[in-house]
Amino acid sequence: MPNRMKLTVSHAPFWHTGSKVSTKYYQIFAAALIAVIAGLLHYGIPAVAVVTFSVATAMIWELVMNMAVRKPTSIGDGNAALIGLLFAMLLPATTPWWVVLTGTFVAVVIGKQIYGGLGGNPFNPVIVSFAVLMIAWPQHFDYNVALVNYQFDFNPVYPLVLFKSYGPSAIESFSIMDMLLGRQVGGIGATFGLGLIIGGIYLIIRGYIRWEISVAFLAGVGLTALAFNLSNPELYAGPAFHLLTGFTLIGAFFLATEDSSSPVNFIPMLIYGLLGGIMTVLIRNSGAHVEGVVYAILLINLVNPIIDKIRPKAKRRVMNYA
Amino acid sequence: MKKRSFFGIAPPKLTYEILEDAQPETVSVAPGEKITLFIDVPFEKASTALLKLGDEVMGGEKLRMYPDSEAYAVSPVAGKIDAIMPFLGIMGKQMTSVTIRVAGDGRTDDAFGKAMQTPSLETAGAFLAALPGKPDFDQLMDAGRPVKTIVVIGADQDLLTVTNQSIVKNEIASVKTGMDTLRKITGIQNVILVVPSHLVQAAGAAGVGVKSIGNAYPSAHPALVVLNLLTDLGSSRSSGIAFFSAEAAAQIGVAFKTGQLPLKKHLTFVKKDGSRQLVSAPIGTHVKDILETLGESVKTGDRIIFGGPMTGNAIYSLDHPVQPDTDTIIIQDQEEIVLSADTPCINCGQCVRVCPTNVPVNELIRYLDAGEYEQAEQQAELDACIECGYCTSVCEARIPIFQFIRLAKHALERMKAAEEENA
Repeated sequence: MPNRMKLTVSHAPFWHTGSKVSTKYYQIFAAALIAVIAGLLHYGIPAVAVVTFSVATAMIWELVMNMAVRKPTSIGDGNAALIGLLFAMLLPATTPWWVVLTGTFVAVVIGKQIYGGLGGNPFNPVIVSFAVLMIAWPQHFDYNVALVNYQFDFNPVYPLVLFKSYGPSAIESFSIMDMLLGRQVGGIGATFGLGLIIGGIYLIIRGYIRWEISVAFLAGVGLTALAFNLSNPELYAGPAFHLLTGFTLIGAFFLATEDSSSPVNFIPMLIYGLLGGIMTVLIRNSGAHVEGVVYAILLINLVNPIIDKIRPKAKRRVMNYA
Repeated sequence: MKKRSFFGIAPPKLTYEILEDAQPETVSVAPGEKITLFIDVPFEKASTALLKLGDEVMGGEKLRMYPDSEAYAVSPVAGKIDAIMPFLGIMGKQMTSVTIRVAGDGRTDDAFGKAMQTPSLETAGAFLAALPGKPDFDQLMDAGRPVKTIVVIGADQDLLTVTNQSIVKNEIASVKTGMDTLRKITGIQNVILVVPSHLVQAAGAAGVGVKSIGNAYPSAHPALVVLNLLTDLGSSRSSGIAFFSAEAAAQIGVAFKTGQLPLKKHLTFVKKDGSRQLVSAPIGTHVKDILETLGESVKTGDRIIFGGPMTGNAIYSLDHPVQPDTDTIIIQDQEEIVLSADTPCINCGQCVRVCPTNVPVNELIRYLDAGEYEQAEQQAELDACIECGYCTSVCEARIPIFQFIRLAKHALERMKAAEEENA
């Protein structure tokens, strides 16, 4: 053919919204930073060290695995960095470096890469890693011990421990405002409730996380706590306490909503979230553990493939048309 | 191009183009030095070939390639055959391309004029299948699937296009003649005209039952028209419905009224800057002649799309001709092109939320990626897909889902054909 102009040839459709995975993970990263920065101001340099080391090592593990399995380098998509950040947000500020290093190894390598990398993980990598480490080295996840050298102007006891040991009367000193503003002991990025809520709402509005999961999760926590509280107020704390302490908010907005391990259909998302919330309070109130969010999310990750089978019937054409 | 909006709770809405009241005149494009026609038959070097290099053809002459093949094209111009070549279409479809050097004399062939004296379905099938709008008469002649209803769709199948809307608006009389003719030659009394809601008034002049559809893509798709509008007809598998576009109906009307084959294709041309122009060009006109007439320039790396932005095909040569079903030509600047990526599915669920037929696309793509086509059909509703391309346009991982689906369907079809042959 005499015409030598080279046109771009590709397949339909020729329109795309322009969205991509890296934008999504950068946005979630940015939204999570609100709560992280509050934590850094609270806990100072040790917390900065934990967060930066966690993000850095998560990315390094990703790179190492990319090279080991000879796949294209994927640290640019922001997912590994996000795993590192979310993992650090759950940790106490004084976590030793080797715990962080092991934690990001478990998260990125065992939680994500051995399943085939991005999109293949059946469990939230952060949750897998945290659960493993919490069993392996429980002493490093005792927030009271870890933060004993800090001088706080508020009650320096991890609220969930206080509640577990002494019942609801012990936690009266925590006002809702204090808990929202992060005036409580806990993970670096898990205590500033207001920041987590703002970040979460931003992500919901932008469509990077699904409101169905977050709202259902919080509703599950709130309703179950309320039911317990009404049945015996002397023994069980009210919904506000459960919603604003521990990992409830970070779990509802940043952990339960992880794409690969959560459902995509409407009703399954509601069931998934509700189940997570219910399990959280059940574990906290009647289980052996102080914090329930981590195991609750592990459990809902486990049932996700089955509940996501509940989906609307496909509309089928009834005949051949031309 | 529809970009992701700041607010992302609800999935992006795609809407059909609406033909405004004041529209620029249709530009008539004359064919250049040569035109090219595609005949739907594999090319082979046979001595029995009916067409040879140097053969004279007349305007309106029916061109068949081999005596044992009914497939034909109709030349809109008089001229001399300049080249006959094999042409590979979508999914390796083998066709024959016939290039004709246009000669100035206006001699026309009158075979149809004579044949139409006895209007019948056979006459229509033998002469009108290459009309603009590509009317499919085979669907009416299939004895195994008797047709009880004819549906004429006066809406466009893809975005950015106003071709069929402009036909309903400006040539409703021809559409009416066409529908009356179809009724006469088939004996099917139930003819329905489906139009977008803003054209209901104009469509009233057609004197048939009119149904209106909404503006949300892909509501004009025949499968969705049946599912949403024609539930009373489509409930049983045996009730046949035949579909024609408004343009096809109008051209059938013109053909039977004048005794001449109308071979000017109406199409919507979308320039790089997004502006739209209605164009009328003879079938076979090379795209470069249209570009020249409209003063649109194309550079290396740009994309020329035949058909709409969701379901069209990108072409690779400026010599590609206008075909009977080319409703739209879109020129896309290189800067505008979003390429696919090899990121795996992250299970975000955007595709599932936009799918008009509730296909679990997130499961489907996992089967397709693994090449498990039969599993995809059994477990993930592959056959419910109507190929609208919506899922792919919102995919965050930029997976070419639509192409995966087309490949899978093609492979399954070939497997089934091979099974039948060996049975």
